[in-house]
Amino acid sequence: MAEEKVDVLIIGSGHSGGMVAKVLTEKGISCLMLNAGPVVDFKKDREIKPAYELPYRGFSMPGRLPHVFQANEFNANTWVDEKEAPYTYTPQQPFNWVRVRLFGGRSLFWARQSFRLSDYEFKAKDHDGFGDNWPISLADLAPYYSRVEEIFRVSGHADGLPQYPDGNFVVDDSPWSGCMQRFIAAGNKMNVPVCKPRSAMGVDGLASSINLLLPDAFATGKLTAVPNAVVRQLTVDKNTGLADGALFVDRHSRREMSVKARVVILAAGCLESTRLLLNSGLENSKGAGLANSSGVLGHYLIDQVYGPGIVCSVPEARDGKATSSLMGGGALVPRFRNIDTKSKNFIRGYALNVYSSTRPMDPRNFADYGESLQKKMDSYEGSGFSTGMMGEVLAHYDHHVRIDKNVVDAWDIPVLHIDTKYTDNEFNMARDAVDTSIAMAEEAGFEVLSKNYDPNPPGYSIHEQGTCRMGDDPKTSVLNQWNQSHDIKNLYVVDASSFVSGGWQNPTMTILALSMRASEHLAEQMRQRNV
Amino acid sequence: MRRRDFVKALVAVPVTVRTMLGQQAATPQSAATAALPPAAETAPTGVNTRGFFEYKAHPIASSVPDGFATTQANFFNEQQLATLRKLGDILLPPLNGYPGATQAGAPEFIDFLIGVSPADRKHMYQTGLDRLNADAEKLFHVPFAQLNAGQADKLLRPWLRAWMPEHPPKEQFARFINLAHQDIRTATMNSQAWSIAATSSGERAPGVGLYWSPIDPDIQKYV
Repeated sequence: MAEEKVDVLIIGSGHSGGMVAKVLTEKGISCLMLNAGPVVDFKKDREIKPAYELPYRGFSMPGRLPHVFQANEFNANTWVDEKEAPYTYTPQQPFNWVRVRLFGGRSLFWARQSFRLSDYEFKAKDHDGFGDNWPISLADLAPYYSRVEEIFRVSGHADGLPQYPDGNFVVDDSPWSGCMQRFIAAGNKMNVPVCKPRSAMGVDGLASSINLLLPDAFATGKLTAVPNAVVRQLTVDKNTGLADGALFVDRHSRREMSVKARVVILAAGCLESTRLLLNSGLENSKGAGLANSSGVLGHYLIDQVYGPGIVCSVPEARDGKATSSLMGGGALVPRFRNIDTKSKNFIRGYALNVYSSTRPMDPRNFADYGESLQKKMDSYEGSGFSTGMMGEVLAHYDHHVRIDKNVVDAWDIPVLHIDTKYTDNEFNMARDAVDTSIAMAEEAGFEVLSKNYDPNPPGYSIHEQGTCRMGDDPKTSVLNQWNQSHDIKNLYVVDASSFVSGGWQNPTMTILALSMRASEHLAEQMRQRNV
Repeated sequence: MRRRDFVKALVAVPVTVRTMLGQQAATPQSAATAALPPAAETAPTGVNTRGFFEYKAHPIASSVPDGFATTQANFFNEQQLATLRKLGDILLPPLNGYPGATQAGAPEFIDFLIGVSPADRKHMYQTGLDRLNADAEKLFHVPFAQLNAGQADKLLRPWLRAWMPEHPPKEQFARFINLAHQDIRTATMNSQAWSIAATSSGERAPGVGLYWSPIDPDIQKYV
């Protein structure tokens, strides 16, 4: 069959790719979507099982998925197998690259925390002098956030805090439980705000690309989707210098194929999109990769610090006295450091996820065993209260990814080498997060049972960002403010690789809003025949 | 070379199957062939699929082997396994109608699990069990497996810690004690024996979850 040129080629089917498909097809533009993995059959591929029926009795298969701490034997088959799609790193600096290649990508499994970035992130350099500002502000993105929040049905409460911008919420006016009221009171004494969490409710139990975005695109008749297409590299018209398609490999047969397109949009996730660009270009004066005249492609890798936190018990809820009015519910402590005051040993800030539970407590919270442990577990059941940190990671040029030419994946595609680490700023921030949590919990009258100051390895948050950063200056950024390549005007990158700084916020709402904004810009450019 | 040989072997398999079936077809008097109905015209060569489209599957009630079979422990040495069994007895004895680690076959399951685990995990367990035994010999002049509850408590309690997921104690022996404790609890509470006990006492069995099967797995994954 003769090769047919498609209008827009979208690589990736998660939140960012799904949003592009929805926006463009609804404007009458034909799109072809390639996704590296298969489509899930939700009836065939899942079933309720007891752990004793699994080969490893609910333990993770030893040695499999060593960098996916989120994996267990129940969900192991949903993650990318590191043996099949490896990456490299120096042993002293591990990186947890957590990937999903199923159709819909990581949008199938995200935690649904739905936050806007504030101008403390968009204009961070103005605030503390470190790094770079984004080329856009909250005001530029706010209208798109509102539309995304409506699609994803974000529940939340307006708090009027500049560092925790309000949105277009399904209003959460639920009452606070007693333990949360005590934690709020403790926060008030310490000038730490405690707010309602914000979360995408989605529809029918899911808040994914595959149920909130792609159905609208398919309904137009303008979207063609191809699973199991592992893209090897983008192709460029030698005469015009424009992107003109991609080479891909059939995941099963290894048949090599090519496709031609007027516009190419990368939405494969921060590091996969970056890897594609790095694998697509020859060496140039500034370094390897396509669309890399700036030389910053692959640099400024950031994610978020997760892991530090505490677990407590609310004494009044023990021994069967936990009630739904005393226990239950969650809260969010938005960033409060380095807003009006200055911390002594770190810049930027962190948020705290706060949970209370009426369920049994994790036995790891007690240094005990046997019958004595069981008695404690029985006594403490329903009294659990915990905090967990989400901290900003500073963007450094040296924290980067590059192609490791010595290693290829199962499709003979060179893999990424990831070279990053946390610095004193992140470690000091983590210590402050735990100490503050302890102080607030003790002020509230809770018993602190366990604590952890150590961040999980970089990547654990599954919030990798920054390696195709946007900016006004083509010499220092890969993309312009519309997620469009400075070098190749018919190439867009719409995932979190465009971020300049990440803040503490789950990036999903920002990815979606940016993707929507970029798509509308592209549609207009195509209408005007500029692209 | 190994990869090439394996590929050759894979390629050879269908040929062998075809040849075998061809031989059967050539000797109609054989019992094996007599049992094979003729293939439908549209079926792949040599494979009988007649009736499969109409067949309505009958459920086959299957069981897991743990209810009637014992895991053969063959990773730890005899002394290490005895130490692990005693550790299981001490850390999670039978309580309130639920099986303890021994009754749930947890030590033998952990022997299997650690035997197929990465080297650092194997090392942690082997050195940890050896140290427990050495400490018992040093302090009480008997193997760990022969300690009474009070003696075992003297060896174990100083190393117990409260810790959060992903962040077990860093000190090597404390790490072993606390991770082994966690493993013993998981292997016990995720056992069929525990599930049966929970069901009989009218409680919800732990360890039940939404299992994802391999989703359209890569057909060349292991080539």
